[in-house]
Amino acid sequence: MISLPQTPGRLCDGFSRREFLRVGGAAMMGISLPQVLSLQAKASTTVDPAKPLNGWGKANSVILLFLQGGPSHIDIWDPKPDAPSNIRGEFNPIPTNVPGIQLSETMPRLAQQMDKACLIRSVSYTPAGLFNHTAAMYQMVTGETPDKVAPSGQLDPPSPADHPNAAAHIAKIRPPDEPMLAAVQLPRPMQESNIIGKGGNAGFLGRAYDPYFLFQDPNKEIKLDDLTLRPEVPPMRLKRRKNLLETINANMPEIDKVADSYALNEYYEKAYDLILSQKARNAFDLSQETDEMRDKYGRHTFGQSALLARRLVEAGTRFVQVNWPSVANGNPNDTAWDTHAANFGPLKNLHCPKLDSAVSSLLEDLDQKGMLDETLVLAIGEFGRSPRMGISTSGNGNAPDGRDHWPYCYTGLIAGAGVKGGQVYGKSDATGSTPLEKPVHPRDILATVYHTLGIDPHTIVMNHLDQPRELVKGEVITGIF
Amino acid sequence: MKLSYNFVATLLLVFSFCLLIPTSSWSQMEETVPSVEVPDIKALKTHPEVLTLEHARDGRRVLVSGQTKDGKWVDVTSWAVLKPVSDDVKLYEDGYIFPAAVGNTKIMVTVKGVTTELPVNVKSIDSPPVSFVRDVMPILSHAGCNNGTCHGAAKGKNGFKLSLRGYDPDFDYELLIEDISGRRFNRAFPGQSLMLLKPTSEVPHKGGQVIVPDSRDYNLIHQWISEGVVSDVETTQRVERLEVLPDSAELSMPGTKQQLIVIAHYPDGTTRDVTREAKFTSSMNEVAKVTDDGVVTAERRGETAILTRYEGAYSTNGIIVMGDRSGYEWVETPVYNYIDTHVHNKLKKLKILPSELCTDEEFIRRIYFDMTGLPPTPDKVRSFLADKTASKDKREKLINELVETTEYVDHWTHKWGDLLQSNRKFLGERGMWLFQQWIHESIAENRPYDKFVHDLITATGSAYQNPAANYFRVSREYTAAVENTTQLFLGVRFSCNKCHDHPFEVWTQNQYYEMGAFFSDVKLKNGRLPGEEVVYASFNPTPVQHPRTLAVVPPSVPFGETKKEITNKRESLAEWLTSADNSMFAKAGVNRIWSYFMGRGIIEPVDDIRTSNPPSNPELLEALTKDFVESGFDIKHIMKTIASSRTYQQSIKTNKWNKEDTINFSHGIARRLTAEQLLDAIGVATGSQPKFQGVPKEFRAVQLPDSKVKDDGFLKLFGRPERESSCECERTTEVSLAHAMNLINGPTVANAIIDPNGRIAKLLKENKDDRVIVEEMYLATFARLPMENEYTTAVEHLASAESKEEGVQDLMWALINSPAFLFNR
Repeated sequence: MISLPQTPGRLCDGFSRREFLRVGGAAMMGISLPQVLSLQAKASTTVDPAKPLNGWGKANSVILLFLQGGPSHIDIWDPKPDAPSNIRGEFNPIPTNVPGIQLSETMPRLAQQMDKACLIRSVSYTPAGLFNHTAAMYQMVTGETPDKVAPSGQLDPPSPADHPNAAAHIAKIRPPDEPMLAAVQLPRPMQESNIIGKGGNAGFLGRAYDPYFLFQDPNKEIKLDDLTLRPEVPPMRLKRRKNLLETINANMPEIDKVADSYALNEYYEKAYDLILSQKARNAFDLSQETDEMRDKYGRHTFGQSALLARRLVEAGTRFVQVNWPSVANGNPNDTAWDTHAANFGPLKNLHCPKLDSAVSSLLEDLDQKGMLDETLVLAIGEFGRSPRMGISTSGNGNAPDGRDHWPYCYTGLIAGAGVKGGQVYGKSDATGSTPLEKPVHPRDILATVYHTLGIDPHTIVMNHLDQPRELVKGEVITGIF
Repeated sequence: MKLSYNFVATLLLVFSFCLLIPTSSWSQMEETVPSVEVPDIKALKTHPEVLTLEHARDGRRVLVSGQTKDGKWVDVTSWAVLKPVSDDVKLYEDGYIFPAAVGNTKIMVTVKGVTTELPVNVKSIDSPPVSFVRDVMPILSHAGCNNGTCHGAAKGKNGFKLSLRGYDPDFDYELLIEDISGRRFNRAFPGQSLMLLKPTSEVPHKGGQVIVPDSRDYNLIHQWISEGVVSDVETTQRVERLEVLPDSAELSMPGTKQQLIVIAHYPDGTTRDVTREAKFTSSMNEVAKVTDDGVVTAERRGETAILTRYEGAYSTNGIIVMGDRSGYEWVETPVYNYIDTHVHNKLKKLKILPSELCTDEEFIRRIYFDMTGLPPTPDKVRSFLADKTASKDKREKLINELVETTEYVDHWTHKWGDLLQSNRKFLGERGMWLFQQWIHESIAENRPYDKFVHDLITATGSAYQNPAANYFRVSREYTAAVENTTQLFLGVRFSCNKCHDHPFEVWTQNQYYEMGAFFSDVKLKNGRLPGEEVVYASFNPTPVQHPRTLAVVPPSVPFGETKKEITNKRESLAEWLTSADNSMFAKAGVNRIWSYFMGRGIIEPVDDIRTSNPPSNPELLEALTKDFVESGFDIKHIMKTIASSRTYQQSIKTNKWNKEDTINFSHGIARRLTAEQLLDAIGVATGSQPKFQGVPKEFRAVQLPDSKVKDDGFLKLFGRPERESSCECERTTEVSLAHAMNLINGPTVANAIIDPNGRIAKLLKENKDDRVIVEEMYLATFARLPMENEYTTAVEHLASAESKEEGVQDLMWALINSPAFLFNR
């Protein structure tokens, strides 16, 4: 039996022990914990008139294009043509299909889809202690700042006590409506140097809620071991095996009771469905897309990952996180966003064309398929880059044509699920250094993600030590809807 | 299939909506709980028998009990009608009796036509000055202001912070009066103070209205403000202990109620009725719930503990809900050793019948997994079943054999490697192997548990020469040493009181740092060899400071005392910790061992021992603790004692009287095999050796030195711990979709089945008869012979398969995917 953790006394938002109790009662009726939580989320939405309705519960799925490495906001989303040349950089602004909104010349195709997206140009925070990628990335996807730093000054590697990635919370609270992978992360882990996967997993929720990791290049052929039937086991043989197993189990009713208490049979049914229905495998099969569509997204890892994200969402996946496929390795011609040196040439010729084709195609494609209204799309990095070139803000060395880390002000793109397209939310100052109005913390962005999925961002979850914790201590950005 | 799944989900959804509609419908919900009739009673009594009221604010409640026809006293407080004979006392709706005039009077107490008198003596009706510590702080807690999700949060809420659940009155007072705007207190017009306007929601307050205007709480704060917002933190002591009445209670039927009354005792000898301000929590809400005003209502049969908290003091009181047990009769059950006596005593008390003994087949599989982490091979099963010795004796014999095997040593080395975080990330490759070897030697020689722990805590020198010193390479800072040592060896979680007093426990923030001071001189330096580190006691200890007061904290143990003056800090700590007089140490250790065999601790979780988490059978735990200490902390002795008990050898099959029991060990508890057990069991079943990188190729999963050894991903998926935490919870044994997918279609099982050197290939090569093959497969997976209908099914399957090879592979696949294989049962 599942019983919800104890909650002593009344919680601040009026979520009382009694409500937990009632949930406990429901659990006894044989509803699984995820279902209970999901019902809880839905119930509290339908009946609570105090909740702002903007965007609430509009999304069925979320696609997070996580631009790890920290893309330069001035050179992509927030051009500053009137700033001095050591800030302005080498690019010119271009008009978009929304009068009054300009993008950098690096994003010509997105400019034609601007009417579908909102740019938040006032994302801003002051790092607590650490200025490194991992700390910032961890905050971006979990909403928490890490509390443990290794002697090297980097973060500790992933630990089971970590805060869960938003995808994991969502997989637990709002599992898919039909048998499908709840959350998928691709095409490579989050990473800084040798710290791999920090913030990318279910942390204290337990591995059961980890996203399905597809760390392969979708621009090549994908291998799916547990989703693809092995050649020696065609569907008929698996069905025979299934029948045989059921006959064997039927002979041991006492042990079957044990299986029930672990919901084993339900999991097996879902697993057979996933494997036999080929639904998940089909979703991963990009060859079912036309060549034109694949070309449009771009025949590169990021472009094909974005296309794959759309296919997964179509098949019912709740949360797809596409991590930018390159991390800094000292080679400026690698497409890592961490441009401490050679910010301009590579950005113009390598990075941005990939970002541009993927984001613009995703927005256009979702819109044409009628999916944009129920899919929240985010494209954002863990920070932006220093407006002034060649200076050090993080302690790293920077070439004269490089930009350093800049968390104080940068831009994120958000679209779909009721977010009004063709708008700029918030405003940066003349140099893109600090928000002039409506600053938005990364936590607020996460709160907004939960909100669009119909999950109260202040929902209390119990961590591994049974301490009550809010999903995220952020506020919904209601102004974008 | 899909359709019916959705259909059921929809039904549940509709149904659950009814359950989940927020607060407004709650009162209706409450009425649906079976309400119990007022019992027929022949006599009444009150507690106290005479009520004394000291001053104007000395409000009290009384308990009313009625004697039923069969002579039992039951709580009837909820039905009692109280009528004062004069206006000298005033009765409030919440049952509190307050004085109105000095003198003697009485209250008539009536239940269902039976009446008794309650004499009342009012000594004074003056209202003494309001105390910040004893009056105001409790209100802040009662109203929830200092909850972790409100102003008690680490960063406060909306610019106003309080200490979590009021553990630090001084801090709270300072923050309250640190009032920049000057609006928080208006001494001339107290009602205009933000401290009253906010909680009453007269100005916008995100937490809503938590104090009602003109209520007793309101008036108290009002009086405190008008008296000048004075702090008595320095002069007034907080509560010393709580007395909760009744001490324990047995409720007969669901719906039966029991009023609790909470009396706070202060060091100056005064008492207060704090029922209204106390916080109540039921450890098992499905057994009995408790309302904010201390009314326990039985929900269904079972046991629960009511934790009562008030101003840092705690009390735990047991509640038994008996339910309908008509027809129950104890059946005489054999007692193998003292464990069974204590278990049976508890079962009799709760009217539970224990399960039957498990079969020899079940026993051999269970004891092999529990002792060695491995299943028995088909040959072992055959010879055990063929042995004609009396079952009890041959089981005993097997237990004694298994503790002497190398597999036993490997298994428990692995377990302690987990707990001690033996891991190359912390220790380097060489350090890790040496630590594993050290643990292996300790287990092999059955080093007494107290000595084992003493060696770890006091270890110094090069970790290459004295691998026990790796303890401090894992716990490099004193904070880690405090948290790991307390959690591992006392079963207590100190991590909470690092930042604040433990919210549900007696542990304080001070104790955390006092404990830390024992480790203040532990230093590490590099040795001569690459990667070598030396642990030494430095002459220049880094002083341990209290984070708020910044005072240097001297070493001191959280309970009991160290024997002599502290010269060698870790030596005195270890001596205190592992002493036979420190019952927490033996208790936590024996409870842990018990849980490994029984599927749950007598206190569960085993590393979260606290007043609010009482043992399910205190006498049993006491007896085991005593045995453990008297045996000289002999781990094998305790394991053998547990395994030889009838309690351990019970079937998982339940009966009418124990099917709802989960905590009293009335039947076996099935557990999913751990990651390593499962992989090794697949290895034994299929005869296929799993492949690991960087270790000898015959290694089993349980022999791997840490989690960095690569396999095909199976171990990580099934919950092998990273060895980065001293918490048992780091290992997971749940079942999820990913696990089902892996077992059905993943590479591990699939490759093992088709291994050309495996059991199936061998059986086919030997061209065995179908019946023989089926028998061998059942023995290799379920550790038993097939039943006749199972032979039939399996042989038919083999006959109908495309090829015999396919048929046998399918059978092996099905057996491995069966819960009979996946669980230790």
